Amino acid sequence: MSIHRLFLTWAVISCVFSWSVPLGAVETLEEPTEATVRDIAKSLRCAVCQNQSVYESNSDLAKDMLSVIRTKVAAGEQEGAIRDYFFQRYGDYIYLEPTTQGGNGLLWGGPFFALLLGGIALFSALKKWRRRETPVGKNPSVDTATDTFQNRLKNEMKQID
Amino acid sequence: MKNLWKVILLVGVVTILALFALGLENDPRNIPSPLVGRPASPFSVSALDDGPPVTLESYRGRWLLVNFWGSWCISCRSEHRYLMKLARMTADRRDFAMIGVDFKDTREGGKEFLASLGDPGYRQAFDPDQKIAIDWGVYGAPETYLVDPAGIIRHKQVGPLYEGWFEKVALPIMEKKP
Repeated sequence: MSIHRLFLTWAVISCVFSWSVPLGAVETLEEPTEATVRDIAKSLRCAVCQNQSVYESNSDLAKDMLSVIRTKVAAGEQEGAIRDYFFQRYGDYIYLEPTTQGGNGLLWGGPFFALLLGGIALFSALKKWRRRETPVGKNPSVDTATDTFQNRLKNEMKQID
Repeated sequence: MKNLWKVILLVGVVTILALFALGLENDPRNIPSPLVGRPASPFSVSALDDGPPVTLESYRGRWLLVNFWGSWCISCRSEHRYLMKLARMTADRRDFAMIGVDFKDTREGGKEFLASLGDPGYRQAFDPDQKIAIDWGVYGAPETYLVDPAGIIRHKQVGPLYEGWFEKVALPIMEKKP
């Protein structure tokens, strides 16, 4: 093995090791309740920033809402109860994903209903177009006309003969 | 059949346009509070002026105006003049009281605000980590709640109170349900 190859092997091995052993890394364990806090905070809308969750938002209100969630989770309150606490105070606006209850059902179902209606409209329109097209080839009057013409042609040919 | 489809299409388009037109009129920040008609969350917190705690329960039996504000809020400055006037105007009423909740603020900030713009004279609760504000479903400042003598929230005003607000909004509610 040449010096060159040896050096290359050494370089590759040291590279691999330096990546796989992060020096000075300290293992930190997340509070077991933090996952629940995160789940709840991600599903709630930050009230002042319209389209960010409480977990992602940097606003003061969101931070304080997060601390309220944290306190409630630490006190052992159920996930549903905490979500409901905010729902009772801020209405269904607080849910980032709207619920399907009440009038919201109409919003969820509306597009599918419109799709169905459009599908029926398209189907009946296609059926109508096909019905209008089909008769052209087999139109009895056209057939008769062709037949009469051919008969006449035949007769005249016979006369010529 | 052909006409039926035309009618359905027309109704659909008109409905969507009407909803769109209605939506344009709405203020996305003015979200109706689900708390109207429900009991107000009780609280007892330290006062801004270091006096005895401000307790919601102690106002039971009277109509109560709860004004959420902060020294950091610009609209609260413009509203303050009217609050001062309203406090003077209603000082003789035995059935009506007002309190303020200074939230997400520093004690110094709140005190300076009142020192420079004037103290309306009613009690101010201090809520630095906006626990009461969140409990009352507050989005921003100023927001004002009208609570009836039984402790039920009857109205929520988002944004500053304006000249004539009491006569136009509060009085009709108060006279309807004594």
